[in-house]
Amino acid sequence: MEVQFGLIDFLLVSPAVALFLFSCIPLLIKVLRGNVEANPFATMLWGYVGLIAAAGLTVATMGSESTAFAGALVFDGVSGFVSLVLLFVAAVAITFARDSQSTNDKQFTENMFLMLNSVIGMLAMAWANDLIMVFVGLELFSLCLYMLIALSLEERASKEAAFKYFILGSFASALMLYGISFIYGTVGSTYLPDMIQATPNLLATNRLFLFGFVLLLVGICFKVAIFPFHAWAPDVYQGSPTPLTSFMATGVKAVSLAFFLRLVASQAFTVERFWPFVDVLQWLAVFTILVGNVGAFRQKSLKRMMAYSSIAHSGYVLIGLIAAGIGGASNLGASGVMFYIFSYSVMTIGAFGVLSLLETRADSDLTVEDLRGLGRDKPWLALAMTVLLLSLTGIPPTLGFWGKFFIFSAAVKQGLLWLAVWGVVGSIISVYYYLRPVVAMYMEEPTVGRYSFELRPLSYFAVVLLAMLTLAFGFASEPAYRMVLAAVVKIF
Amino acid sequence: MLLSVLIFSPLLFALIVALLPEEKWVRPVSLVLSLLHFAMSGLLFYRFNPASPNLQLVEKVPWVPTFGINYFVGIDGISFWLVILSAFLTPLVVLGSWTAIEKRVRAFHICLFLLLTSMIGTFLALDAILFYVFFEASLIPMYLMVGIWGGARRLYATMKFFIYTMAGSLFMLVAIIALIFMTQEQFGVMSASILDFYNLEIPFVAGEFLNTQTLLFFAFALAFAIKVPMFPVHTWLPDAHVEAPTPGSVLLAAVMLKMGTYGFMRFVLPIFPEASEYFAWLFMLLGVVGIVYGALVAMVQPDIKKLVAYSSVSHMGYVMLGLFALNLYGTTGGLYQMLNHGISTGALFLLVGMIYERTHTRVIADYGGLAKAAPIYTIAFLIVTFSSIAVPLTNGFVGEFLILLGTFEANRWFAGVAVLGVILGAVYMLWAVKRIFFGPRGKALGHYEEESLDINAREIAVLVPLIVLIFWMGVFPSDFLNWSKASLEHFVANRTHYELKLEE
Repeated sequence: MEVQFGLIDFLLVSPAVALFLFSCIPLLIKVLRGNVEANPFATMLWGYVGLIAAAGLTVATMGSESTAFAGALVFDGVSGFVSLVLLFVAAVAITFARDSQSTNDKQFTENMFLMLNSVIGMLAMAWANDLIMVFVGLELFSLCLYMLIALSLEERASKEAAFKYFILGSFASALMLYGISFIYGTVGSTYLPDMIQATPNLLATNRLFLFGFVLLLVGICFKVAIFPFHAWAPDVYQGSPTPLTSFMATGVKAVSLAFFLRLVASQAFTVERFWPFVDVLQWLAVFTILVGNVGAFRQKSLKRMMAYSSIAHSGYVLIGLIAAGIGGASNLGASGVMFYIFSYSVMTIGAFGVLSLLETRADSDLTVEDLRGLGRDKPWLALAMTVLLLSLTGIPPTLGFWGKFFIFSAAVKQGLLWLAVWGVVGSIISVYYYLRPVVAMYMEEPTVGRYSFELRPLSYFAVVLLAMLTLAFGFASEPAYRMVLAAVVKIF
Repeated sequence: MLLSVLIFSPLLFALIVALLPEEKWVRPVSLVLSLLHFAMSGLLFYRFNPASPNLQLVEKVPWVPTFGINYFVGIDGISFWLVILSAFLTPLVVLGSWTAIEKRVRAFHICLFLLLTSMIGTFLALDAILFYVFFEASLIPMYLMVGIWGGARRLYATMKFFIYTMAGSLFMLVAIIALIFMTQEQFGVMSASILDFYNLEIPFVAGEFLNTQTLLFFAFALAFAIKVPMFPVHTWLPDAHVEAPTPGSVLLAAVMLKMGTYGFMRFVLPIFPEASEYFAWLFMLLGVVGIVYGALVAMVQPDIKKLVAYSSVSHMGYVMLGLFALNLYGTTGGLYQMLNHGISTGALFLLVGMIYERTHTRVIADYGGLAKAAPIYTIAFLIVTFSSIAVPLTNGFVGEFLILLGTFEANRWFAGVAVLGVILGAVYMLWAVKRIFFGPRGKALGHYEEESLDINAREIAVLVPLIVLIFWMGVFPSDFLNWSKASLEHFVANRTHYELKLEE
């Protein structure tokens, strides 16, 4: 087979190329200066330049609805939207990383290099139109993340987290690759559109394909921490440096869920043979919501609490995915999922950002008690955190409310009322643990002195900006929803 | 425009208060702003046409068109007085909390204005999602109010309040979504407008629980029943009331509980007419149980505030009883009793707060002989007590009488038991009055001189408007009911196929 690449292919992947080039610059500078760490602010600026260039190029190629490299990559509305969300959270995350004690050290340049390259891996996965490409992207960002976690200055928890994530992640990758091999064996191609086209037929007739497809789903479920593949998440999120956690919890989920959506678009859920698995997925959604919310309920560490909350949110998205899979062409589910990716990313990275700002040592692990008196000492930060937490709870008028509204709407529309009801039950449980920090910030007397340290201005600004976005989109969700609605129609 | 101004001007006020350079200006500025807001609500008397049952002063702007969600507000005779009540009570609350709130005064007034926005918005919203947004948003300021300025067990109380109310309303959200899709099936376009919900044909099978209308009915009813609160989901109320600061208690009792009963009138009864009729006995039964239970529990409370809180449960039982009598007397009485309860219970909480500020105890047993030490206070308290136990010539009498009349028409057994509640009401209130104001001097007023405990001019200024209203509403009820008459008659006459038109 002869494959020819034109200039257009390289133009389309230019965001990744730009990112890679700019990620090398700080590293080069460091090497040329005899391994002396540059000013972290400059390093961060190079990161910004790379991310902004990538975002600009993504916007420029958006809406082209074209494929590159013989169809291995696709540039449609979904990949464009997810890329932009991803680049945005990455920009926020490197801001937090520069301002955090756990990442800003003599290896910050390497941190930045790895972070930007993990973004490249995520972009590759967001664009992927070929199962091999999916795997390559997944491995690229996973490897970067394993190293990033281990690079943390914190000695014990982060090493354990890195190792745990590495082993379990490799296991999931292996399962996924195994699944892909079965799909290749039965479809005769790893090209996603080929597979999607063959799915309804093969799923009904070919047991090997079914096996491969299920393994593929399991691999993705692991990445987005769906019960019972969620157990790594709390340990890893807690052990990682907080800026990195904020990035993992949002970036990895955004691209993995987008890929999940592409799989769902294969009409697999409408195949009768697959229905038992759809039932299982529904139960997994219910259990994920319950495990996440009940787990978060009992946590002392705020990072762990947020980790469980992020599991619960995966459960809500899974409801949307199931609705999308059953609903097919009526895209309420798919657009709900896309919107949720966006809303979840904004509010989760914001909440982690607040924690990151408040950590004074590399090994801090904040508890609810540590937030006491924050409302008095740092009123704007406390207000931002309150808005973000209320949004995570799903209280109007915030972004999180609309995220849940669109997901529950999709479920009701597809007759999955019982899933919506379980989602509601989960949300009720979540009220308690999301409001606990609010209680601590405003209503409890401080036990540890005052928050006298200066807040890092850039991170502070980023957190406040995220809170404002949460509110602004809460009042005007329609433009964003229109955008995803237009995007998802194309992939179904 | 007027309605939007009424809804959103408090947001602007909150911003003004937030930006005031000095904290000592917060109270006077808030008072002026809230009076301004009340004056603006007074414009409704000129712009609203009481002869028409239609929705008036309507504003409709697309919000989330994909789901047929609009910013859609309007007013009719049912919401009219509730809006006025909210606007009327806010300046009184500002004035009443002049010395009660000592810390974080600025934040408190910001909360107050946010609460005002969400209360007015709830009563004016004609779009189900918009209603839900305001309904839920009202939780946050109240949550903060109880949690920050409340009493010793405030954290427990505020959490319980939030989780209870949220639990009910989330199920309502799912029901609203289901109704939105129903409008798409039946009318071809998605709409979250309540007016379209009224026209839905929702299948109902009597005697079977798992059918569309019954399930939706209970999803809505649960949300509102928790808010009202009806027995047996009332347990958050005593905690929240006792722990809330005085102004919080006042607004909670006077306005926020009405969001629940208003929800029954605006959503439950007209959207689900068959289910409402079929299950009316259940809600009347729970109403009656609430009346008697609330009264009995109030009787044995050692804490004045808790007594008033349980009396709320009892009073709201009357409102529910009236609404589910499903006739004109009952409905009119229900609406009237909502206002009465707002005024008399609001006044009671203010009075309790005033004496608490001086003696720092709410335990009834600590009092005694207060009539001598605080004569003006005693007179005010007695008048409000009479209103609360529905003595003729006070507003409470009109409301309860109408409700009992309506209930008698609907079911004489329930009416018979409910009348018992009137007696019990008199028992617990008058007994408490006796123990607090008469008899030997209690230890709470130990070192106070004669009459030195009495209320000052500011506090009298807070109480006078309320007492004037108590008599005005008691002697000339038609001055008030005429504004709602057309809407209520329309509501009752077309109960099974209710629809509202927009005033041209």
